[in-house]
Amino acid sequence: MKKHIVKIFLITTLLSAYSCNKRLEIEPAQSIDQSQALKTGSDVQAALVGSYTQLGNINFYGGRMFVMSELLGDHNELIWSGTFQGLTQIYNKTIPVNNGFALNTWLAGYAAINSANNVLSALDVVLPANKNRVEGEAKFLRSAAYFELVKLYAKDWNNGDPNSNDGVPLVLTPTREITEANKVARAKVAAVYNQIITDLVDAEAKLPNANGFFATKNAAAALLARVYLQKRDYPNARDAANRVIASNRYSLTASIYDAFPYNGGNPFQNTSEDIFALQVTTNSGVNDFQTFFSADGRGDITISDDHLNLYESADERQGLFYTSGGSVYNGKNDNVYGNVHTIRLAEMYLIRAETNFRLTTVVGATPLSDLNRIRNRVSLGSKLVITLDDILFERKLELAFEGFHLSDIKRLGVTTGYFTGGGGLAATSPKLVMPIPERELRANPNLTQNEGY
Amino acid sequence: MRKLLFLVISLLTIGQVWAQTKEVTGKVTDAKDGSPLVGATVKVKGVSKSTVTDAAGAFRISFTGNSATLQISSVGFESQEVSVTGGDVSIAMTVSTTSLNEVVVVGYGTKIKRDITGSVAKVSAKEIGNTPVTSFESALQGRAAGVQITQQNGKLGQGINIRIRGSASVTAGNEPLYVVDGIPLITTNLSSNGAQTNPLTDININDIESIEILKDASAAAIYGSRASNGVVLITTKKGKSGKSKIEFSYMTGLQTPTNKMEFMNAQEYVEYFRLAAAAAKRIDPSFDYVAFNESRLQRYSAGNTDYQTYKVNTDWQEQAFQRAPISQYDMNFSGGNDKTTYFMSGQYLDQTGIIVRNSFKRYNGRLNVDQKLNNWLNVGMNMSFARSLNKRVSNDNAFSTPLQIVALSPITPVIDPRTGQTSGALDLNTGRPNTNFPVYYNPMLSVENGFYNTITNRTLGNLYANITLAKGLTFRSEFGVDQLNQNEENYNGRLTARNSGVPSGSGFNSSDQILNYNTNNFLRYFKTFNEKHDVDVVAGMSFQEYKLTSNSASGEQFPSDAFKKIASAASKTDAQSSETQFAFLSYFARANYKFNNKYLLALSGRYDGSSRFGANNRYGFFPAVSAGWIISEEKFMERVQWMSFLKLKTSYGLTGNAEIGNFASRGLFSGDAGYGGIPGTRPTQLANPNLKWETTASFDVGIETGILNNRIVIEADYYTRNTKDLLLSVEVPGTSGFASQIQNKGRLENKGFEITFTSENIVKRDFRWTTSINFSRNRNKITDLAGQELGGGQNRAREGQALGVFVAREFAGADPANGDALYYKNTLKADGTRDRSTTNDYNQAEEVIIGNPNPDFIYGVRNTFNYKGIELEVLLQGVQGNELYYGGGQYMSASGSNGYDNQTRDQLNSWKKPGDITNVPEARLFLANGVDPSSRYIADGSFMRVKSVTLGYTLPQAITQKLKIERARVYLRGQNLFTSTKYQGWDPEVNADFQASNINQGVDFYSAPQIRAIVFGINIGL
Repeated sequence: MKKHIVKIFLITTLLSAYSCNKRLEIEPAQSIDQSQALKTGSDVQAALVGSYTQLGNINFYGGRMFVMSELLGDHNELIWSGTFQGLTQIYNKTIPVNNGFALNTWLAGYAAINSANNVLSALDVVLPANKNRVEGEAKFLRSAAYFELVKLYAKDWNNGDPNSNDGVPLVLTPTREITEANKVARAKVAAVYNQIITDLVDAEAKLPNANGFFATKNAAAALLARVYLQKRDYPNARDAANRVIASNRYSLTASIYDAFPYNGGNPFQNTSEDIFALQVTTNSGVNDFQTFFSADGRGDITISDDHLNLYESADERQGLFYTSGGSVYNGKNDNVYGNVHTIRLAEMYLIRAETNFRLTTVVGATPLSDLNRIRNRVSLGSKLVITLDDILFERKLELAFEGFHLSDIKRLGVTTGYFTGGGGLAATSPKLVMPIPERELRANPNLTQNEGY
Repeated sequence: MRKLLFLVISLLTIGQVWAQTKEVTGKVTDAKDGSPLVGATVKVKGVSKSTVTDAAGAFRISFTGNSATLQISSVGFESQEVSVTGGDVSIAMTVSTTSLNEVVVVGYGTKIKRDITGSVAKVSAKEIGNTPVTSFESALQGRAAGVQITQQNGKLGQGINIRIRGSASVTAGNEPLYVVDGIPLITTNLSSNGAQTNPLTDININDIESIEILKDASAAAIYGSRASNGVVLITTKKGKSGKSKIEFSYMTGLQTPTNKMEFMNAQEYVEYFRLAAAAAKRIDPSFDYVAFNESRLQRYSAGNTDYQTYKVNTDWQEQAFQRAPISQYDMNFSGGNDKTTYFMSGQYLDQTGIIVRNSFKRYNGRLNVDQKLNNWLNVGMNMSFARSLNKRVSNDNAFSTPLQIVALSPITPVIDPRTGQTSGALDLNTGRPNTNFPVYYNPMLSVENGFYNTITNRTLGNLYANITLAKGLTFRSEFGVDQLNQNEENYNGRLTARNSGVPSGSGFNSSDQILNYNTNNFLRYFKTFNEKHDVDVVAGMSFQEYKLTSNSASGEQFPSDAFKKIASAASKTDAQSSETQFAFLSYFARANYKFNNKYLLALSGRYDGSSRFGANNRYGFFPAVSAGWIISEEKFMERVQWMSFLKLKTSYGLTGNAEIGNFASRGLFSGDAGYGGIPGTRPTQLANPNLKWETTASFDVGIETGILNNRIVIEADYYTRNTKDLLLSVEVPGTSGFASQIQNKGRLENKGFEITFTSENIVKRDFRWTTSINFSRNRNKITDLAGQELGGGQNRAREGQALGVFVAREFAGADPANGDALYYKNTLKADGTRDRSTTNDYNQAEEVIIGNPNPDFIYGVRNTFNYKGIELEVLLQGVQGNELYYGGGQYMSASGSNGYDNQTRDQLNSWKKPGDITNVPEARLFLANGVDPSSRYIADGSFMRVKSVTLGYTLPQAITQKLKIERARVYLRGQNLFTSTKYQGWDPEVNADFQASNINQGVDFYSAPQIRAIVFGINIGL
């Protein structure tokens, strides 16, 4: 008996040791190995969809980046009373190089770029019928990310010489391992813009007209209009904006309020004037405008009279603001599950109006009629004669607190208080450029820091 | 050679030549209760004859000649010598008063402390039993040298950090491996609310027989790749053969916070903020701060002007605390006969937290049975279950955590007179909760309208068979399972909308199952050759597999707060399921050799394979060697009468750390990137197929001495622990799309010494006084971090510094001229010194090291006094030389310049007029004046605590006999009774729970103070 029992124990021990060795091979369950991730067309499609999610990261198109630019570019139009120290620093224009928000936006931008680069690296396995679309979408996403990064972390195109000013590092291939080659130096501002424009031109050519809520031909053209405008390439900006408008695929919502649907706090599809919007549902996406601007969120940002006084008395856009507990909040993004309206048709009319005006051309429509179209929608009377400033002020109010102010004042070369009676920082102030994150300089000695940091 | 052999053989045969024998029989008992002592060694002095006592404590031995001296020894008892001439003797053994003879549990076996060459700290049941704490680690504080235990805060059942001989890792785990009765324990934190919970709370402290802490490589290397942070071995109680025992214990008492802080009252607050508004208007005339301030004060005064007369004066801090009773009931049964022994126990703990909404209830049961089937086979089983319900509060960083209530204004009433409801519950204009009254979300709304309950069910059991194959050769097979099921349920009602962001209620429900099983199979051989050579060899294998499966669901939009289950949620916002696992396959061996009872040598090694390691490095080998010399056994020491024991020992070995993610070596894509309802993937991790464990090379040299017949025992150890190939989260350029990658890079070292001093100061028949002191000093230093610096807040991992040093600008007080916050520039000058001039521009000042959260030394001092039936134990615990970062200071001690948070009273001392010399800059409403991170908020974290005082009285037998009970003891026990510290915050034992990590240590952020408990208890033995 004893011998048998001992034998059984010893044999099972030996056997289990043998079989246990195999049990050290364990595969993850929520993730897959990168070698298995991009093998088929549908894999690449999934990675492409994931790139939208990456772009829509809370720290990027999800909204925080735009909130940061509003705080940085502000001159007394909004009141920041939040407790996030990093945002307080941005609001005060005293940003230490270790500001966590500056870092997170940088990382989120490049994570989106890496996702898009992964897609672009695997076009070979995509069905020919889908290839152009997939390539176009990935390039759209990549250029969207680069455009925001170069605007935030580098001198504006119009500030000095874009051919000698440092932009941001250009990475156009996916990263699967880390080598010295990953320590990429900053490309010049002009080089980054060139890449963005090359990508967008290609994207516009390859994208279909209809593509659900994903990037379309018009989304690429609209973004292209924005990019050209930023570099004061007015003819190209005008033409790109005109292509979008002329496509007749979008229309201004009847009321400005419909452009920012609250829908009882439930998710809502794109409006008729959304050319591109980041999708937010209860399961994915985030609208961080809501977090900071809405009284239902943290309500850290309230709106001052300096801004509210800019509106004419009949202007319906005043109804986008509401009072709660004695403070005035901006209600454009009150819906916690509202899409992030990134490119609206209204912007295209305003670009076309401005560029036509500047170039004294009448491509598509007269500046006057484009401007009045925006005005009439919010119950303002038509103007008969307009100046450039009329267009710029209209743009200011129409796109208020959507993330345009900072890049507009840089583009226009005016002070941050230009629209509210002057004052504030000059467009070229180094304080209006984010620092290259300190962490990034440590990890990559080939980077240079921005002026003033 | 041949001569030697002849000599040996002749010596062996001599005994038999003169075989003219007498026989003696006897019984060996425990002097304490008369129970038989099984397995005691009975030896005839001077000859090689010995035997062991049987299950009844009986023995029979023969000797030659007319009389002989018997030497009786049993581990844990004082050895005795008895002269016998034959016949029947009875011998009562007394428990060893010195620790040198006690049995110490080591990996895969036990040893006598005297023979140990490694470094092992032991804490026994007597010391920690009946401590009024939620988890047993809290009871270890101050009791073991080299072991620093820090409870993150005073919330129940939450994170505890244990560092054994310092931190050995920067990114991988720094907590020790826990092993209960041979089974590695689950220590996975399964909390979903951002603050860790502690899975060790499932263990009943009164089931623990002893806790051994393996500190050096010699002791720990047999646990291989998981031993770098030390190993904590927990052994549960077993029954003893003999009379059945029933023990009943009950304790009950009250708990209070160890400390409260001082905040401004209504008058101080109003006057202070008026001052701040006036100053702000002076500096920035473009805005009328004064009028704005009055309107805000009116708002926070529930919209009325009561604030002008200070009519409402709310002490919000008091609202966060509650009356906190604790009770615990214990019952156990034990006993057995010569074949079967058993230990059965049950416990119920009912603890209310000091923080509102916080409570912990747990019941435990255990059955340990050992059965001797025949003379070669023993089997046994330990089985325990636990169920706990932890009603939790939010993490320290949440507006909804009760202690953040101190930010509310003292002019704000608890009940809003406009609505008759809790302030913030209702805005009459909207019919919804207020969005800007009080100044922040009122955490009481979460207390009254929400819950976060964590329920765990834990089953821990193991089964063993021990086979005696031949004399001295045994085979042991163990199989154990640790199964943990946790459910978390959370509901935030309508009135929490300002905090939850959801107007109609939100709920969360998660369930996690962990199955962790382990088998150990090993042979042990021990034999004494020629009385001089003691050999003890253990060799075997072990396999562990761990699997965690989780699922959770979230919902929003509930019909009313009466519906709290997600079934009623109109919108199911999130659902998750996930799974992860790991496995370890290990082979281990250890050989101990003792020559002549004085020279000790031990070799051990473990060959560990793990699923966690990269494909190129799947197996690692972790050897250790140690040696000891019991000098007091040498002839030349015989003259040194006062020194009864002296041992030198040293060890060297390698241990590993495998506490990284389960798939850290893989390049991964995750499928969690769906967008607008369409599935998506994203790259989430860079590959590193070379990834392997961290390796720590430990060296230890120690001395153990016993003086005056071991009445004084001193142990001292010096050690170095050098860790290389750190499992480091290495920063990679963010332009790669990733922030970091786990790589084997970098080194760090720990050096230190430990001294334990135990003395029986007075040993009289009726009075006994013993003192034991432990003192440990550890120096941690990161020697190589691949050129980077880790850590985002004030704690950093920086080359050349201790892990977690505080880095920030150096604050220089208020400018006497204008009240601006000043900072030392501290820019490095050409001559290597730093520029000590000051600036009011925060960015012009350079970050420097402003403190270190690691203490210079820690200590514990324990005194026990016994007088007749009365015993008194006093334990002091101290931590010295560490700094804390008072993270809440940027809001509550911020010169009123960072929002309307109520301020600590020390801010009243702010700069007011030119010439004022103060460390508090001028109060300036909203114009942040010195609130950015700086040494303004660094503080000395040293403390000495009266950790535990127990006054007990055992009723005399005369009374207990009348009561027909065996034993009765009553006691009064205080925990954390008094703390001496310079720290101005709530409690110096702190680590903000939402961010606690290897690097993030010693930060206070609205963290609940520790718990002071005073309990009355009784123990009754039947």
